[in-house]
Amino acid sequence: MTAIQLNDVSYHYPTSDFKLTIDQLTMTANLVAIVGQNGAGKSTLFKLLTGLMQPQTGNILINHHDLADLSPADRLKTIGIVFQDPSSQLFNATVEKEVAWSLSQTESDAAVIAEKVAQVLATVGLTDIKDKNPFDLSMPEKKLLSIATVLAVDPQIYLFDEPMISLDWPSQQLVTRLMQQLAREKHQVIAITHDMDWLAATFSKIAVLSDGEIKFEGAPAALFGQPELVHAVGLLPPRIMSIVSDVLGDSRVYLTPADYVAKHQTH
Amino acid sequence: MANNQQISINDLSFTYRHDSNAVLHHISATAPLNSIIGIIGNHHAGKTTLCRILAGIIPNMMAGDLSGDVQLGPLSPTQNWPALNQQTGFVLQDPASQLSGLADTVADEIAFDLLNHGVANTEIQHRVTEVARQLQLTGQLQRSPNSLSGGQLQRLAIATAIVTKPAILILDDPTSEMDPQGRTEFFNWLTIIEKTTILIVSNEIDDLCEIADRLWLLVDGELVNQGTPLEVINQLKPDWQIGTPQVYQLARSMNWSLGTDLFPVNVNQLRGCLHDRHST
Ligand SMILES: Nc1ncnc2c1ncn2[C@@H]1O[C@H](COP(=O)(O)OP(=O)(O)OP(=O)(O)O)[C@@H](O)[C@H]1O
Ligand SMILES: [Mg+2]
Repeated sequence: MTAIQLNDVSYHYPTSDFKLTIDQLTMTANLVAIVGQNGAGKSTLFKLLTGLMQPQTGNILINHHDLADLSPADRLKTIGIVFQDPSSQLFNATVEKEVAWSLSQTESDAAVIAEKVAQVLATVGLTDIKDKNPFDLSMPEKKLLSIATVLAVDPQIYLFDEPMISLDWPSQQLVTRLMQQLAREKHQVIAITHDMDWLAATFSKIAVLSDGEIKFEGAPAALFGQPELVHAVGLLPPRIMSIVSDVLGDSRVYLTPADYVAKHQTH
Repeated sequence: MANNQQISINDLSFTYRHDSNAVLHHISATAPLNSIIGIIGNHHAGKTTLCRILAGIIPNMMAGDLSGDVQLGPLSPTQNWPALNQQTGFVLQDPASQLSGLADTVADEIAFDLLNHGVANTEIQHRVTEVARQLQLTGQLQRSPNSLSGGQLQRLAIATAIVTKPAILILDDPTSEMDPQGRTEFFNWLTIIEKTTILIVSNEIDDLCEIADRLWLLVDGELVNQGTPLEVINQLKPDWQIGTPQVYQLARSMNWSLGTDLFPVNVNQLRGCLHDRHST
């Protein structure tokens, strides 16, 4: 099992007054979600976890090893990231080359690369457009492509920065299943999301960031049982909770419509 | 028929240049001006292309083979594009691609179109302050647009589209990166603004069913249904693979129906439905 540990980490950008301050954060679960308002510092945290940016103070340990001591190649094999804006990580001439390029950073055998590229493109359903220029893809296709580039490398830890953006319903199901499967295969999967319904249905561990600080760590039901906290950190409860509280005056915690139905259906 | 108070799309087809397959096939649809139209459908449905045509980006800036016609009230994106463009606010699916690239600060970016419209300086100041407050960008006004978080960038894209108070808003997945409170506030605002025609593409089917007057449902480039959210959601076919709102999922499971095989799709309908059940 992987453990990510942050100790006394702080980071600030030279040109804004935002500051990320994390005294203690330990993530051991296989499937973790990070949530919080726009500008809370979620993507900044992810950039620190990739080692692309270094914290100004404190350290980040991956399985008790300091992230800063990993070689670039080891870092790529340990942590992969799907960026919030997929365009920022795509620059090759074709979809296929994009995935091959990403894998070539950690793998040199051309036959292995070719096989793996074909496999991951099939997994995300992009085989038919493998010769297209990534620049010409739609937003959801770009997102699926950037997921494929990370799947090809198959790092120990997957960071997904808002994986569901602009995906349609079938692709959302696909990506959710993929993440659950990775977690079952003992990868650590950490996702940032604004989708409280998906969060409530999919994750058992969440961390809430607000103004650069961790304000909650625990299970979704525990968070949504604290309406003042949810409001204060700029979130909302899952829709099912607003619906039954608005219409039926029932303010208990429900994570999904199925959850409500299971507790109320008369047999 | 031509009608100055309607949006009408008549037998519209489109194929991108260098592509062999049509993206939109013989689409015909109508809706009254000043209504909210939700455009839904999966990947390859043609939603973004339809937005580009409605906004006149196709064929004025992107080429292809376009047939049929489109009328937004008295104006048409093919025949009166400059006039239409003046009255249209557009939010692209990828907010980063929407920046002018010419502004050093968020404030200048928001003011950009106002300057082009020849709005007076004091009025510009006033409107920029107002729209920044609405979209919670006040703290970012003096920052570079390039240093914003994803959600802040999307808020900026919306600010630039609405600051000119356009009569037509074309919004392609405008809240995908917004936090839950921000998204809800924005959808509520859409119901409050008056004298504005809103065409909005979104995967937020729950929110669309709360606010839209009509839904247009695209499947693989064809308009397979149009009607009220109640009609369109209740008439979905499983192989279209469209997600349904939670109110509808709940009502179906609990068998809270509005009539034979008709289930509520938003909170008001659900409230009405349960009220009627109690009073009978
Ligand atoms: N390159 C940068 N230079 C200066 N400030 C930055 C930079 N990148 C981000 N910021 C600021 O740091 C804060 C945190 O940004 P971050 O991208 O981590 O937020 P986030 O939680 O991911 O938000 P969102 O939900 O909008 O994606 C924001 O106020 C943002 O404007
Ligand atoms: Mg972010």
